[in-house]
Amino acid sequence: MNLGQQIMLLYRKDLRVEVRKKESLIAMAFFGALIMVILNLAAGRSGRIEAEQLAGILWVAILFSSVLGLGRVFAREKENGCVAALLVSPLSPEALFTAKALVNFTLMCCSELVLVPVFLALFGGRLEPDPLALTVLLGLVNLGFSAAGTLLSALAAGTRRNEVLLPILLYPLCLPLVILAVKATGAVFGGSALFEILDQLEPMAAFGLIYAVAGYLLFAHAVREV
Amino acid sequence: MLKRYDPFALLALFALPAAAAMVFFYAPLEETMGLVQKIFYFHLGLAAAAFLSFFVACIAGVFYLVRRQRVWDERGAAAIEVGVLFTTLVLLTGSIWGRPIWNTWWTWDPRLTTSLILWFIFTACLILRGAVEQEAKRAVFSAVMAIAGFIDVPVVFLSARLWRSIHPTVIRSEGIALEPAMLATLAACVAAMLILWAALFRLRCGMQRQENTLLDLQQQLSR
Repeated sequence: MNLGQQIMLLYRKDLRVEVRKKESLIAMAFFGALIMVILNLAAGRSGRIEAEQLAGILWVAILFSSVLGLGRVFAREKENGCVAALLVSPLSPEALFTAKALVNFTLMCCSELVLVPVFLALFGGRLEPDPLALTVLLGLVNLGFSAAGTLLSALAAGTRRNEVLLPILLYPLCLPLVILAVKATGAVFGGSALFEILDQLEPMAAFGLIYAVAGYLLFAHAVREV
Repeated sequence: MLKRYDPFALLALFALPAAAAMVFFYAPLEETMGLVQKIFYFHLGLAAAAFLSFFVACIAGVFYLVRRQRVWDERGAAAIEVGVLFTTLVLLTGSIWGRPIWNTWWTWDPRLTTSLILWFIFTACLILRGAVEQEAKRAVFSAVMAIAGFIDVPVVFLSARLWRSIHPTVIRSEGIALEPAMLATLAACVAAMLILWAALFRLRCGMQRQENTLLDLQQQLSR
């Protein structure tokens, strides 16, 4: 099998597990919506919220809920002793990384299909974001977060404190991504079009690429120790 | 084995008081900032050593993953520990300076943000090391995390640049904006901090090595 076929095989396997059990996706969407409701209540009824703060609320909800899905992807394999099985199979660790990152990317996209409408319903009375710019932003954050997250969730899964450790390791690395995303999304909520936020989009794409390459190279070392 | 007298430790014993003496008795008093400005000499020296140690941690991580020699893990671990310590001091000295000069303990300036995010990343690295018992696994995980943390630096700086900067830039591409006496003091301070860094780094390396040797002996005994 070539690399592409291996990736598709693993990707379909993980998606099939997710479709049958639905444990990650429901938890992600539910928790994300819960965070937004809490933040809406915490903001008070009279308080006017600025565009950039609204962007912050959206990203807090998305990133905090995504870590639930990221943690499960490896914990599930480990509970069943499947990591060793995957490693002795003729599949390459690089294919494993790419497939897991794609699964995380897909999970984030699916949960955002729920979270963004909920966000607009709760906060977005006055907002008219450019749909194309918002989609590009969501895609770039999903790319960076799932690439870095897949690499680090392999590390976290190898320890005995998986659920505690993953956010501790992942959020510091993703802070620049959050900074850029909040800035750019704030501009989009304020009415900017796609070409006006290129300054922020370029480093976000660079972040995604850096961690996609780093994950591809480093993942094999990490996963052999899980 | 741990040597009783490390040459760098001995050197640091003289270099640090000498640098401190230069800061307080040789360097002239800054016109507008006054006495508070003197913390800058230590601040810059600490910052230089802190960034050096994260660079060393990344390089040690790469070498460990390629060669799988225990000595690179010991160096990486020592660099991370000393780096976290020095970055903490950089943030503290910066805050002490910023309070009277900027009238705030903290601001989201690119340099401050970069230092803080690096502090978070490498402290997470220390927490990760503490969470893994087996030596080989701990070494690989910490190497991967150190590399992943260091390659974040360019993006961190780029993203932090979006905020308005109020941090003074002393060293620019056109030259260094300092009095000759201040410059000499600064050089002495940076050198002293690097010597202190080397001494601490070697000390921690030696302690890691002893710890590993002790664990080996324990395993041999229990067999």
